[in-house]
Formats: sequence, C-alpha cells, structure tokens
Amino acid sequence: MSEGIIFDIREFCIHDGPGIRTTVFLKGCPLRCKWCHNPEGMSAEPQMINSAGSRRIVGEKYQASEVADRLNSQADILCANEGGVTFSGGEPLMQSRFVKDIIDLLDKKLHIVLDTSGCGTHSDFQMLAARVDMVYFDLKLIDRQAHVKYTGVDNDPILCNLRALSEFEKPFVIRIPLVPTVTDTDENLSAIAKTVRGLPGLVRVDLLPYNKAAGGKYASAGMVFDPGYDESAQLNLNIDCFKKEQVEVRVA
Amino acid sequence: MNELLIEKKHSVREREHKRFRQQAPPDVLAECERENSSGMRRAALLIKRQCEAESVVIEPGERIVFTRTIPCIPRIYADMDPVCLINNICADWQMALSQGLLGRREAAADARERYKDNPQASEFLDCAIESIDAVLALAARYAQAAEQMGRHDIAQMLRNVPANAPRSFHEALQSLKFMHSALWLAGHYHVGLGRFDQYMWTYLEADLKSGVLTESDAEDLLAEFFISLNKDTDVYYGVQRGDNGQSIMLGGVKRDGSDAVNPLTRMVLRVVRDVGMIDPKINLRINADTDLDLLCLATELTSKGLGFPQYANDDVVIPSLVAHGYDLEDARDYSVAACWEFIIPGKGMEIVNYETMRFPKIVDQAIRNGLAAGDTFDGILNRVKVGIDEAARRYADCYSKRQLPPAPFYSVLMDDCIENGRDLSSGVKYNNVGIHGACSASAADALAAVKKHVFDQHDIDPADLLAALDADYDGFEDIKQKLQNDSPKVGNNDDAADSMLTTLFDYFADACEKLGDHDGKWIMRPGTGSAMFYLYMADEVGATAEGRKKGEYFSANLAPAPNIRVHGPISVLQTYSKIDYKRVCNGGPITMELSDAVFRDQDSVRKVAMLVRTFAQLGCQQLQLNTLNYEKLMDAKAHPERHRDLIVRVWGWSGYFCELAPEYQEHVINRYKYAL
Repeated sequence: MSEGIIFDIREFCIHDGPGIRTTVFLKGCPLRCKWCHNPEGMSAEPQMINSAGSRRIVGEKYQASEVADRLNSQADILCANEGGVTFSGGEPLMQSRFVKDIIDLLDKKLHIVLDTSGCGTHSDFQMLAARVDMVYFDLKLIDRQAHVKYTGVDNDPILCNLRALSEFEKPFVIRIPLVPTVTDTDENLSAIAKTVRGLPGLVRVDLLPYNKAAGGKYASAGMVFDPGYDESAQLNLNIDCFKKEQVEVRVA
Repeated sequence: MNELLIEKKHSVREREHKRFRQQAPPDVLAECERENSSGMRRAALLIKRQCEAESVVIEPGERIVFTRTIPCIPRIYADMDPVCLINNICADWQMALSQGLLGRREAAADARERYKDNPQASEFLDCAIESIDAVLALAARYAQAAEQMGRHDIAQMLRNVPANAPRSFHEALQSLKFMHSALWLAGHYHVGLGRFDQYMWTYLEADLKSGVLTESDAEDLLAEFFISLNKDTDVYYGVQRGDNGQSIMLGGVKRDGSDAVNPLTRMVLRVVRDVGMIDPKINLRINADTDLDLLCLATELTSKGLGFPQYANDDVVIPSLVAHGYDLEDARDYSVAACWEFIIPGKGMEIVNYETMRFPKIVDQAIRNGLAAGDTFDGILNRVKVGIDEAARRYADCYSKRQLPPAPFYSVLMDDCIENGRDLSSGVKYNNVGIHGACSASAADALAAVKKHVFDQHDIDPADLLAALDADYDGFEDIKQKLQNDSPKVGNNDDAADSMLTTLFDYFADACEKLGDHDGKWIMRPGTGSAMFYLYMADEVGATAEGRKKGEYFSANLAPAPNIRVHGPISVLQTYSKIDYKRVCNGGPITMELSDAVFRDQDSVRKVAMLVRTFAQLGCQQLQLNTLNYEKLMDAKAHPERHRDLIVRVWGWSGYFCELAPEYQEHVINRYKYAL
C-alpha cells in the first residue's frame, strides 16, 4: 500500500465538480505558475506555514487506506447530494500511484473528478483518467514559449495528454485561469478555443477570473510573490472567442 | 421593492422617526405607590398610562402605522427593573387576530360574570378589560388623527382593528403591528411573532382570491410591515441592539400533521431577502423530505448575509417535545420564543433561558480536582456528572420559588387565561423551564485532551498539567501545544471527542429527568445554546485543558471551539448528529459560517441548500448558517462609516455589525476567520 503527502482534505468544495464534494489536495506540483494562489501546494515536502501568529506544518503523510476510509465514511452523504470526491493539488499526477491506490479503495458509487494541469507522463495520466468519472483539465497558454515563461514547463506533454483524454471520451471541463495580459489575450483564448473545439467528451470551458488575493499566502510560506505582470490590468473576459467555435463557456 | 419602500427603509435606518420621541415616560411608580396598588393593578396602570402618553405619528404615505414616542418603560415596582416583566414567549396571534380585542373583551366580561365571587379572578379580569380599553383608546386616537389629516384609509382601518377581526391582509398586518407594539408598551420584550405564514395566510388567500390584492401589492404591504418592525428597535433593551426577539417561524406541519408550507411561506422568504434588514428574524421548519426548491429560496436569503433563516428539523423537534410531555398537536405547532428556544404559541409560559449549564466551568473543576485527587478518568467523568446534577438541582430550587409579575394584557393574547380567570403569571398549559447548555465543544475538547494525554498516552503528567493550568500555560508551551494541536476535537466526526460531547448532554438530560415533573406542573428542559455565555465565561474560567488560555472565548452554541480547523461542514453535521436530541429539547443551533466566496456561481445556492437538507437527513435539530466576508468585517471595524448596513448573526439574532460592542465584533471576526 502506498503513502503520499496531502496538504488538505477539504469538505464542501462546491466549485470542484458536480454536487457536494470533498477535495483531496495533493502536495507537490511540477509547474511554477506565476499566479499560483496555493503556493503551499508547490513543494512536494511538508513545510512550515506562519499565519496570524500561529505556526503549523502543512503537508501530512497519509496511507492510501486512511484517506479512502475517511472519504468512504461520507460516501452516502456525498452521493445523496449529486457529488463525490475530487483529487486536486498541487498536481495529483505527481503522486499518481498513491491516487490510484486511494481510488481503488473508494466506494464504487462515489463520483470522482481528477483536477489536473495535465502535466505528467502519458502512462500516469492514462492510469488516473481511466479511473475517474470526469476530468477538470487546466489549460493556461497554447504558445509554448509563453507557457515556459509563465509556468516553468513546456506544454507539449500537457497538450498530448489532452488529446489522449479526448480519445477516452471521458467527460471533461477545460479550466482557464484568466491572468491579466498573460492568459486573457484574444490570441491565447482563440487558440485554446480552436484546440478544444469538437473534442469528444468536452463538457464546457470555465473561465476563472484572476484572484487578486493570489499573493496573500506567499509570505506565510516563506516565499516571495513576484508575478511579473500587471495584476491591476483590466481582465479581458472575451467569451466570443469560444462562442465563435461553438464551445460552451462559463465564467466562474 | 418600489422607490417609496426604499425611501422608507432608508428613513428607518437613519432613525428619522427619532424626532417624534418624547423626553420622559409617565411616572407610573409614584401613582402605584400612592395607591399602594397590587401587582395586577400596577401592570394594568402601566399599559394604560403608556397608551395615554403615546402621541400619534402618521407619516406621509405610511400604510401600516404605529411609531413609539415614549423612549423607555417606566418602573412600576420600586425594587424591580421593567426588564424582569414577562418576556420571551409567544402569543396566540391566530386567536388574537381572529377574535379582535373586542372579542377578547367579551370573553373577559363573560368570565368576569362567572368569577364574580372570586376576588383574585375578578381583579385580573377587570385589569384585563382596562388594558384592552387602553389599547383600543390609543387606536381610536390614531383613527381620529388620521381622519383629521385626511388619511381616511388609515382611519377606516383603525376603526376596525385591532378591535375586530381584520377584513383584509392589510388590516391583519396593521392589527398585528398594533397589538405587538402594545405588548412592548406594557413592558414585555422578546415578543415572538410565531407562525406568521400560518395565521396570516387566511387573510392573504382571501384577498388574492377576491382580487383585492395582486401578489405584488401583497409583497409591497409585507415589505412595509417588515420595515416597520425595524423602527423601534432602538428603544428596546436587549443585551445588544438587534436582540429584540422579533422572530418568525415559517413552514413545518399543521396541527393535524399535514404540510403547512403555503404561498405566504415563500413570499416572506422573498420579501425579507429584498428588504435586507435585521428584523424580522426568520426561522424555517424543515424535515428530511423538504422540497429542495424551498431550501434554495431560503438559501438565497442566507447568501445575502443576514444571518437567517435559522432552520429547525421537525423530524427531531416534534418527537422531542412529545417526549417532554407536550401533546402531539401542540408539538406540531411549535415556534421559537425569541432566539431558538422551542415554544408553543399561546400555550407556553415557559422561562426558556432561565439559567445556563456552564459546561467548561464544571468540567474544569472536575479535571483540576480529579487530577489533584489522583482520580482515574472515570473518576473525573463522575465529578462532571455530580457537578451537572448539583447545578440542575440548584436551578430547580430557585425556579420553584419563582414568582412572575402579573401581565393582564399579555394574558388577553394567550389561550385560556381569560376563560379560566387566571393571569398568565400563574401559569398556562406549559410552564417549563429551559436551561442553556453552553460551550459544550470546548468542554468536550478538554475532557478528550486529558483522556488522551494523561490517561491513554501518559505523555502529560497530572501534576504538570495542573501546574500548566495554574500558570495559564506560561512556560508550558509544549503542554499547551499537545492539548491544542494534538488532541481530538469536536467537529471532526471523531468519536474520541464526540463521545465526550454526547456524554455531557446525556448527563445534562439525566440531571433534568431526575428532577421529575413537580406534580405535573413543570419540567426542566435541557438545551444546546450558549447565548452570550461564550464571552461571559471567558474571564470567569481560568486556563482550560483543551489548551485555551484565560480570557480566550469558548465555543458558541453547537459549534467547534474557536481557533480549531475542522474538516468541514459535513463532519460538523456528523458530529452533531450524535447528540440524543429526543432528550434535549430546549433548542440551540449548530452554527456554521460560510465565506461569501461560496456563492460565486449559479450552482452554489443549490449546493448550500443540499447541505441544509443533509442537516435534516442526518437527524440534527437546529441550524444557523451565516455568510460573510472576512475582509469586509475587518474593513468595517476600521471604517464603520462605510459599512453601516453590514449585518451579522450574533447568537440567536442578527444585528448591525457597527452597532455591536467591541467584544462581540471581535468574536464575530474570529468566527469568520475559520469560515468554510
């Protein structure tokens, strides 16, 4: 049985999929998005957080069975409310074996969402995507250089996993964090629209407007928030790019 | 809301009506002392003189009238504050409206004839009649003034109500406003408004059917009525402004057990949401099968951040009341007194918040004395049991000696007082006493921490724990850390802590049941609320074994202790579903804070409604959900002038944040820090 590092198991995460859900936040992420508002999810190791005068360790070791037991104890309630469990992060693909083991122990009636950046190996991605009911797939930038600049990684494996996903015909939602002057440009949004247009399984695109409080947690994690773009710039909420490609779009 | 109503709301918020206030109330005490009057006579004289002293206020465009002009309640006893007059119960508004005060007067005159040889009953009935006449004389003065001002509509209405049965929904609202205000004039506070959608629906339904009103006319009238309830809250003497008991209970079942939800239930929820003020406080009765649409409508109200509705679960409350000796039909008719205490309108002269079971104090003494004496953990639990028993016994002894001051006008609005020639103060059908069970989570956490570290793991020495408690943890950081951060906590669906919680309530229920029913006269009802005791006890109790330092607040109502990060609302509900509510019937809600970020998309209202349904399905008793934005609270503290209309839930009531005392503001902020 595998073990892994989790930084939060939060109940009633109502924006992470259908119905009432509990979200498991896995620690560790290969991306370093400049706008990340969960900096405590980046490092794969437990770390000390200082906030409001109190210190606590963020990131705890769990056995897969412990996590599954806790989620299963609420399975009836989650199912009765059209919900289930979401694996998020950090990046769940970084602990794919651990996540797989948890899922294999979960009550079969639980609806499972994988919330991923898509950044992981093809085999890890396939292993998890095959086991879940729905995927929330984050897409940030189509331009490869911009992607490297703002997230620290190449988007090639991400786009490759996206294509693999559509071959499964697994329902998925594309989520785009709208970052002013970075991801919200007409060019980027229409490039994303063209990329996802007509993909089998695509439910809709969710646009997530920029969260100005993004930098708030950095100091307490002993990190520096240095976004490198103008946070106060007006957001370009251009949903027409998607309508033009007949892609259903929502602003969260 | 139309523009007139928006203007009206604004004027009430600005308290423009304060210009009508007179300087001083009539000196009733001097007159009573001169005549050496009985208590009954004093009470009747109070309402008479208060009604006479009121000046008429009819503002332009106003359609439901009555504005208080006397700023306070004069004394009628040299040695007793008016705050001790009968309060915190609920009249039988259905009966009072349908019979009208003249109907009640006839009943009193009948009884007067029957009881002419009984001097006590005769005095009571004479006083009841005089009280009715005083209120009717005030209504007549209003009618006359309205006539002179050319407000024939108001004049016509006040010639009919509150004397007679209302002929329309509009008249019913006016009648209720007048009688409710008269109770305040007579010195009674925390006057519950009961099952408003039940007793008012008859009048509204008739008007909608006959075409006298459209739905939108009715909504406007209702909005004006609700705005008017916010008028006189500044002359009211609750602990904090806002704590005025104008609570409405909606939904549930009828006395025959059939579904009581009607179009007015929904209309009230809509209108209160649009009015957006602190009164009336809304309660909604639900059950495991309540329609999700109704819960969505109620949740829209929650999303506005008004701190209501508060929910009560019929599946749990009704059997619990029956188990405590209430007839099934009466139990189905329950409402709340002012905050959350369950009460039967017109049939309960219950003192629902007579005293407080101070769980943290009792547990703290048991732990300190038990550790000092070398007890086992069971020994400590036994001390808790004895402590709870002793407190209950003490409260019962005091209660059995209680004497309530007579209340002839309130008696007019209750069931059978007039008919039996007996004042409300000598009892009605139910005369029980309710005791809060305060700060239970903190107390349970203390027991769970001691059990784990002193008795199971043996990693804290009893003598060290005692020394740490005495030193308020100064120099004992490691012990405090273990107790606070490495111990089971209530709210996580963890049996190690939850079993301590259920033990406390089991002991409490045992203690009350042991006291018996006092020859069928009264029982003690254990409850789960804390009222303001989570603050009051902070300095009264030193450092406690859950890792709390002296002066830090305790948990409020049924909620995890402050500063505790819990898994989330599902675990909180699972924890609280373990209490045996059949034995704990006085009320006291599970209290949860939601961040307003929850409501950022369309689906969220439905999901929060599902959470409310889960509360009912898990068999919990009462729930209060509050929505707020932490940053907004902080800003309001720094810049009150920018947030005058910011509303928060305090305990059983909502108030304007900027009008609260600083310690309550601080506690609210602290709660929201841990919002879900």
